Amino acid sequence: MKPWKTPILRVFFFALGHIKPLQARLVGLSFIHFARWVIVKRHAFPRLAETQPPENISCDYLLFFSNFNGTWNQYIDAFADVLADGLNLVWRWSEKFPLSRPVTAFKRYISLVQFDTDYYYTAYPRATTNDVKAAHRVCAALEGFGRQCNQMSPAEFSAAYLQFLMSVQKDLGSTGVGPVGT
Amino acid sequence: MANVSGTVYGLTILSPIVDDPNAQISHDCAIRQYLANLPNGHTSPFAQVSSTHMCRLVVMDDVIYVGTPAREEHLSSRYLVFESNFDGDLEPYLMRMATEIPDVMDSVWGHCVGYPGVRDVNAFVAYMKKCQLNTTFYFADVNNHTVQSTLRALKVQASVADFIAKHQGQSPSELQAAFRAFYERVRNIPDEEPGHHDPQGHQSIKLNRSIAAQHG
Repeated sequence: MKPWKTPILRVFFFALGHIKPLQARLVGLSFIHFARWVIVKRHAFPRLAETQPPENISCDYLLFFSNFNGTWNQYIDAFADVLADGLNLVWRWSEKFPLSRPVTAFKRYISLVQFDTDYYYTAYPRATTNDVKAAHRVCAALEGFGRQCNQMSPAEFSAAYLQFLMSVQKDLGSTGVGPVGT
Repeated sequence: MANVSGTVYGLTILSPIVDDPNAQISHDCAIRQYLANLPNGHTSPFAQVSSTHMCRLVVMDDVIYVGTPAREEHLSSRYLVFESNFDGDLEPYLMRMATEIPDVMDSVWGHCVGYPGVRDVNAFVAYMKKCQLNTTFYFADVNNHTVQSTLRALKVQASVADFIAKHQGQSPSELQAAFRAFYERVRNIPDEEPGHHDPQGHQSIKLNRSIAAQHG
């Protein structure tokens, strides 16, 4: 990014952080566990010793890290499909950004500018973002039902158990390796 | 603060890698070689720092030239990028890294400029903070649950699915007795090892008859 564009992008991120409805589509995608954007000013690369040569570059850089479930193609297709305007607002300040649609040029651009990860760790490797949310809902529902059921007659329990099943049934899907569709 | 979302902290570290033309193996290659052989899953060293949700390590060789009208430019140093998403505050997390996986820290960051080692924990924490970049915008979809509570929830979810599948068609009194025992068991469920959750996944319930028909 040319340095004069950096403040504009900061204003956009400030708005995104403070106006929650702007994040609705990002939340709605529900396949990103964690994501972050980090602006590195051209003079802000850490310099830890006099022996380390100072950086002499003319651009600021925007780093993006995403921890998502699914494949690279699924991720970018969905991102470009649902969040095209938002992506354009974030990256249009970067040099040679081709806009997020059509997606072929967008993918070519990402392939060019991305860094391969050398080591990756996740504490719950088989769980998608939706699995995590569903599991917490099941836990909360079980806590609520479990506390009440001791006081019930068998007939009352049967009816309440059915209600419990209906409340959690959509949250009991399989976990594991996801199907690859692309 | 942009580094925090709910109870989750997003740490970004950029550590310059030593450039020594006389080294037998260049320091960036040595880091890559070490990381390539580092175990993953529940045997990952980062599983020992159990507040880590997800993390990554990347050797950044240079910035990328995207073509004209951009200007071709290059970094003077290579950088080690560490991105981590964890529960709680920064300093306790860095101290845990220094005390619980000191060999890994020394083996990776030992190739970086100015790295003081982990023996002096305060110097180590100060070094990592010097390398820290502030996050401009941080997004955490689930930002109010710890690693442990999420692992427990996933285990409970699988147990509930299993219980429902195995107790279809029982009489109300049998079912109530079984559920009481199940609920007590679930409440005392032991903690799951990070990185080891449900390695094969669990299967969704196969209904052999309509639950509604039995209990409705």
